[in-house]
Amino acid sequence: MRTMATQLRPEQTAAAVAAVELVKVYGSGDAAVRALDGVSVTFARAAFTAIMGPSGSGKSTLMHCLAGLDRATSGAALLGGTDLTTQSERVLTKVRRDRIGFVFQSFNLLPQLTVAQNITLPLDLSGKKADRALFAQLVNQLGLADRLTHRPSELSGGQQQRVALARALVTRPEVLFADEPTGNLDSRSSAEVLGLLRESVSTLGQTVIMVTHDPVAAAYADRVVVLADGRIVRDLNRPSAAEIADALGARQ
Amino acid sequence: MNPVFRSQVGLAARRPARLVLTGLALAVAAFVVSGTLLVRDVVQRTVVAQLSGTPSAADLVVGDSESTITREAANAVKSVPGIAESVVRFSTYAELKGAGNEWLSIDVDPGAGPLATVKVVQGAYPKAANQIAVTKRTAERLGLAVGTTTVATFSGREEGDTKSITLTVTAVVDADNDWGVNGYAPQSVVETLPGAEFTQRIEIVLAAGADAQAVQDRLKAAVNAPAVRYKPEPNEDGTVPPGPKETPVRTGAEVRDAEVKQAISDVDELFAVVGMFLAIAIGAAVLVAVSTFRIVFAQRMRQLALLRAVGAGRAALVRALITEGALTGLVAGTVGMLAAVGTGLLAPQVAAAFDKEVLSPGVPVLPLAFVVLGTVFVAIMSVLAPAFTASRVAPLEALRAASTQGGRSGIGWFRAGFGVLTVIGAGLLLAGAVSQLSHVDDEFYDPTVPMLMIIGSGGLAYVALVALGPVLLRPVLAFVGWPLRRLGPLGRLAVGGVGGAPRRAAAVSVVVALGVTLVAAALVGGASMRALAEQELAVAAPADFVVTGEKGVPLPAGSVDRARASKDVTRVLPYRTAEVDIDGTKDEQSQKPWKTEATDIDLKALKAYPQMRATEGSLADIGPGKAAVRKYLAVKLGVGVGGTMTFRKDGKAMTVTVVALLERTPLDVGVLTDAGTMNALGLSAEPNAFTADQAREGAEARNAARKSLRGVGGAEASLTVSLLADQRDDLDKAINSVMLVLLGLVGLTVIIAVVGVGSTTALSVVERVREAGLLRAVGMSRMGLRAMLTTEASLYGIVGAAMGLALAVPYSWLAIASIGHGVPVEMPIGQLALVVLVLAALTALAGVLPARRAAKTSPVVALATDG
Repeated sequence: MRTMATQLRPEQTAAAVAAVELVKVYGSGDAAVRALDGVSVTFARAAFTAIMGPSGSGKSTLMHCLAGLDRATSGAALLGGTDLTTQSERVLTKVRRDRIGFVFQSFNLLPQLTVAQNITLPLDLSGKKADRALFAQLVNQLGLADRLTHRPSELSGGQQQRVALARALVTRPEVLFADEPTGNLDSRSSAEVLGLLRESVSTLGQTVIMVTHDPVAAAYADRVVVLADGRIVRDLNRPSAAEIADALGARQ
Repeated sequence: MNPVFRSQVGLAARRPARLVLTGLALAVAAFVVSGTLLVRDVVQRTVVAQLSGTPSAADLVVGDSESTITREAANAVKSVPGIAESVVRFSTYAELKGAGNEWLSIDVDPGAGPLATVKVVQGAYPKAANQIAVTKRTAERLGLAVGTTTVATFSGREEGDTKSITLTVTAVVDADNDWGVNGYAPQSVVETLPGAEFTQRIEIVLAAGADAQAVQDRLKAAVNAPAVRYKPEPNEDGTVPPGPKETPVRTGAEVRDAEVKQAISDVDELFAVVGMFLAIAIGAAVLVAVSTFRIVFAQRMRQLALLRAVGAGRAALVRALITEGALTGLVAGTVGMLAAVGTGLLAPQVAAAFDKEVLSPGVPVLPLAFVVLGTVFVAIMSVLAPAFTASRVAPLEALRAASTQGGRSGIGWFRAGFGVLTVIGAGLLLAGAVSQLSHVDDEFYDPTVPMLMIIGSGGLAYVALVALGPVLLRPVLAFVGWPLRRLGPLGRLAVGGVGGAPRRAAAVSVVVALGVTLVAAALVGGASMRALAEQELAVAAPADFVVTGEKGVPLPAGSVDRARASKDVTRVLPYRTAEVDIDGTKDEQSQKPWKTEATDIDLKALKAYPQMRATEGSLADIGPGKAAVRKYLAVKLGVGVGGTMTFRKDGKAMTVTVVALLERTPLDVGVLTDAGTMNALGLSAEPNAFTADQAREGAEARNAARKSLRGVGGAEASLTVSLLADQRDDLDKAINSVMLVLLGLVGLTVIIAVVGVGSTTALSVVERVREAGLLRAVGMSRMGLRAMLTTEASLYGIVGAAMGLALAVPYSWLAIASIGHGVPVEMPIGQLALVVLVLAALTALAGVLPARRAAKTSPVVALATDG
């Protein structure tokens, strides 16, 4: 798989995001831990990809490096042809603001802002006006129309995560990264949020990369990449929940 | 050790920065209090060192401030055996006709030897009759250089009984007392001058081997012998008033001790006032400490809940947290105290670098130990409420997922009720004070009661602000944050961040409000006092100089023209004065009408006219047949504005309509009218006085003006040149220095408030690492994050300043209005705006460091933090 990856030319493919020989080492000397041990992978545009793996497999680190939140030790993290590992902090800030959307496990809404203000926060920060049509569409699609003036503390977990989703989508990001988006939700809310992610890929052509360890959640994806000990060990195309569970079980 | 405490101490030990932040306000308070103790120590020693008291060579001192020792008694002392040397401190004074009619006091000093208090710096100390030495300032001020002569006019007991003597200045001396009017000469010289008949003090050096006690007894007997004692003159009705009490004889040590005690008691009184302001600053430190303890405990809610979940009792939690508070107080108190001691030891070195001598303070161990103990006590008081609140955490909290700290904005029923009660109390007191204000024009109006009511109401209003702060914060924030919110997302986020934790924001803002209230009240008070002083000075000193000749005689021809020709003076305004009898009055003793002075000076031409205010009526109405009159005279005659009064001089009469009444009058006259009206008294048209102003600013220009005015009368004429401008300068200086000291004292509270804002911001930042991480993740730049957090810190300052001004402006307005009639209320709007700006800047500065730290955190770490 490694040889295959090195031959890839991300600029020439339809890939939205690619990792090339990505290595991330935490600590040094004897205490050094290779969280990513030479990962090469591409993520197609307008596709829903899930990254899976047991705890400590490096799936979150991979996402952080691809999203410009963390710097790789070596290798390249390409976002639409830009290598994020060589960019300055200022450029990374702009990239995060304009080209990437995030959804977190713990929602991370600002308690002092209303739902509407939370949604438009990234646009406000870049000084851009919200696209009224897109905003209305997202708000309706996510069922938040009658919640716009509420504060996060007045919402349920599922509602909060939908606000986070709207905040991530409102900038029309090239990629949406979701880090365990259903980790804090009950099964009904989980299904709702995952359905919405799925729908954004199908109807808006959004590229979504999701980190999860829940096979049911991963089953919503077009493709599932499985990591273990900092390397990619399986790459499944449209697997079912059962196939995913098998793949994980086989590893363990 | 209590296991709960151990776990909490472990926590504190891992995060020492938080411990420091919690105790910072207390440390600053301890620093200030210790510093004040040390300064007091230094001031006391300096006062003692510079005390111009009894020379240390004086073994015995005869007399005290209540004694009247006659010349005979002084002579009797000389013949008492066992005395090596004595100085009789005679004192007399004279008017110097040649030097603008200034006064000169002449005191006995040997000039050399053990009992001398002056030191010759130039020339030779006087020996022969009519020779004197003068102090440096006196020499400069009166133009009495070594070798000059001056005619001194001594007054006798009866009026008109004067004696002029030409004195020769033979030396310039350094003296402890140098007011610019001091001359010295040996006893033999002063004794021959008129007026040197009594003294209050004789200093004695004992002969070698003399028995002090025996000499003391002999002296006592000698000065109190009936033959030499002062005999008071009988009254007109023949009774003889009691003479002075027995003249005491004390040892020099005793006298010096009493002098030191007196000097130090003045210092102590001063520091009692300082102590009052320190108490307010300590109160501010308590408010800050309570708030920081609350924040720190809230951040540890999960750990505390966990302790509860594994079986720690509530009481154990409370004990642990209180012990932690006491420990914080101990560390903060020790650090603050040591910092003050260190500064005190460094100060003399630093001062020496600037060529200033400052005594090094001692280390008063006991008081400093009390400061540390006091800090511990204050810390325990501060930690009580937060500790009880924290101990009420439900064990279940530990199991809950990390949730965003939603700030509670509400306050409990108890607190709300207490707040409302204080508001009602403040309102009642205020209503009481306002109802008293309607009597402000009454003759026997006493401002004490309304003033106390206003101060009490202000205090209660502040307590209400503290109690209701969290509820008031959002409206105030909405008001002051309005322009910020329009500035864009950063401003909106900053306003939201402050509003998101209203209790915390209120806790720190009310401390800022306390500082601002005090500063603003001081500024308003100062501005009003200055305006009042200017009004009074406009009357007391309407021009820089007044030049007068002999009573009732016109000035020598050409004096006014010569003054006008001088380039050192300007605004020369000649006028006439006349002594007049007031119709309808009669002195009970002499059976003659009262006399007063009338003048036709053109007030409108005076520099100070715009600041002059009539007590009643208007000065602008003075004109033909119309006059302003001293209020006291009019009241005696039952005449008000609109009434008429008649004045007579040598059979001629002048009747005027009273258009204005003055409490105090310019030039101390009784009647002010115009020239045409004064002509009715049959006066010469020539002026007998004029006022003038110095042409340029500054002391040099003043001396030049004074010199040229002295000359305008010609060689033989003796004109009196009175300098009124000095009064204005003295008052200005006095007000300025009082304001500086006052602002310095209330500044202590402001410093503690700013420290409170700094530590609150720092602690909030720790708590909101997650929020910072999110903002960075969704694309906020480092600079943006820094700007946002700094703005939040400055918002604490601005909100506090707004609250403080809302209290200070109406209350200081009322307080000044309640002082009494005629006190103008001045609102120094520029200065008040400056206070808000300075506080915004200071609090922003306090937020810079925490904001930098927060912005450095990587977003990944921030998002991973267990919130």
